[in-house]
Amino acid sequence: MAEIARALRLYWVLQRATMRGALQYRLNTVISVVTGAVYQGSGFAFVWVVMHTFPSMGGWSLREIAFLYGLRLTAHALCMLPLSSLIGLEWLVREGELDRVLLRPLNPLVQVMTKRMGMGQVGDLLTGVVLLIVAAPPWNLAMIGFCVPAVVGGALVEASFHLSLSSLSLRMLDTRALRGFLDDVFSKFGSYPMSVFGGVTQWVLTFVLPVAFVAYMPASVLLDKTGSLNVPALVAYGSPLLGVALFALAYRVWERQLRHYQSSGT
Amino acid sequence: MIRPLAGMARVGLRFQLAYRSDVIMTVLALIAQVFLLRMVWTSVYGGAGQARGLTLEALLAYLSLANLQAFATTPIIPLIAHFRIRTGMVFFDLSRPTGYLPQMAAFQAGHTLGGLLMLAPAVPVVLLVGTITPTAQPLGYAATLTLGYVISVMMSLLICVIGFWTLETGAISLLYRLISQFFAGTMVPLSFFPGALGVLAEALPFKYMGYVPAAIYVGHLSGGQVVQAMIVEVSWIAGLAVLLWAVWRRAHRRVVINGG
Repeated sequence: MAEIARALRLYWVLQRATMRGALQYRLNTVISVVTGAVYQGSGFAFVWVVMHTFPSMGGWSLREIAFLYGLRLTAHALCMLPLSSLIGLEWLVREGELDRVLLRPLNPLVQVMTKRMGMGQVGDLLTGVVLLIVAAPPWNLAMIGFCVPAVVGGALVEASFHLSLSSLSLRMLDTRALRGFLDDVFSKFGSYPMSVFGGVTQWVLTFVLPVAFVAYMPASVLLDKTGSLNVPALVAYGSPLLGVALFALAYRVWERQLRHYQSSGT
Repeated sequence: MIRPLAGMARVGLRFQLAYRSDVIMTVLALIAQVFLLRMVWTSVYGGAGQARGLTLEALLAYLSLANLQAFATTPIIPLIAHFRIRTGMVFFDLSRPTGYLPQMAAFQAGHTLGGLLMLAPAVPVVLLVGTITPTAQPLGYAATLTLGYVISVMMSLLICVIGFWTLETGAISLLYRLISQFFAGTMVPLSFFPGALGVLAEALPFKYMGYVPAAIYVGHLSGGQVVQAMIVEVSWIAGLAVLLWAVWRRAHRRVVINGG
């Protein structure tokens, strides 16, 4: 426990340092944040334009979908803010940079995570939080008490896929393109009510690739729409736990692969 | 003049084919995108036979085509120029006897050809998912799409040249890509855009890369509208040519070569 607390404290210190570094390039920071926000905003603009003609999508109103969109985007940003450095893991392995990481007396994952700070994800977070607040039904304590773990749980579901696939690159497998594709699937399909897809697709997005657990199920709970889910309401209430379980598993995979790491020798 | 340009086109083609695993994933993402759009639109249409003059079948065919077109015509040269300006390698491009803009255009043409080759296996899948039948206006489709592609290349050349001033086109080209794809109507046909957004989308040239050719293919635009679209496209090309020439005359005098 003491070791985890130390790792978290050092994570905070190191990440702050990378953030200060990134903020030195002021114009680039502004452009990155704006680009992140425009990127996510254009996805929502599609929903908005479609629902201008059709007021209901899979039984959800524009406001409800905006809330779902905001919930997913906030979870996504929360996942990618600390994990965006994993994008460069292939490079760290190929250049032998990871050797240095392994020699230092701090959890290697914490060190890799703090290599850089993704400013584009700040734009994601801003868009997500704005949508979440603007579109939310009137808040009460119970809702806040569920929403916070739901966002964290959703972030952990996404994070577990990124981490486990990234750890394969420790064995010289390049999974960057595959990770990009999965990220795309989570972003695109996770932002709609699953009732839009129905049938096999909904089943796959629930039980094979748990996209539905990131935002759709928690949003159904918060909007009181659990009646139309394809799982019992209890599963939806417990959805934040899946993220914790999957991330624990993904971390095991990471540790396993790290033991098999062989330096490239450069 | 022709031989060096053919060489640049070959480089562009090889560049595209070299990153096969990336392209395979991009093609998969394209199929996922068309699949998602199909699901979403089918769901919102519900029982409605028609909306804004489009049946669901025509709309699904439209979306598949528009996305295939967007995939094939997405420009690469702003990224190449960005990298070469940042590393100073643009010096080599400028020292060649062939002009910088023709070189870039030829590279883009080769790259697009490579993209079409990679796309070939995905076409039957996308056509099947999007249920496309042969068009009644093949000539109008081919002509507007070709002219639209020329407009797209010229716009990206303009972004490359802007890099001579800003020395940094990474974020600009990403923004350009997002905005152009949205206003090209790859996810929603322009006829659905409400109010001022619709007016803006109609006025911008991005619709010629997606909406106009695809809408002609499915018969949403026809007859006089096709001819009119082609006239406006040719005017855009002429206008962009003048603009490019004027900007280029100033740009190459203020070249900065980053050392290192």
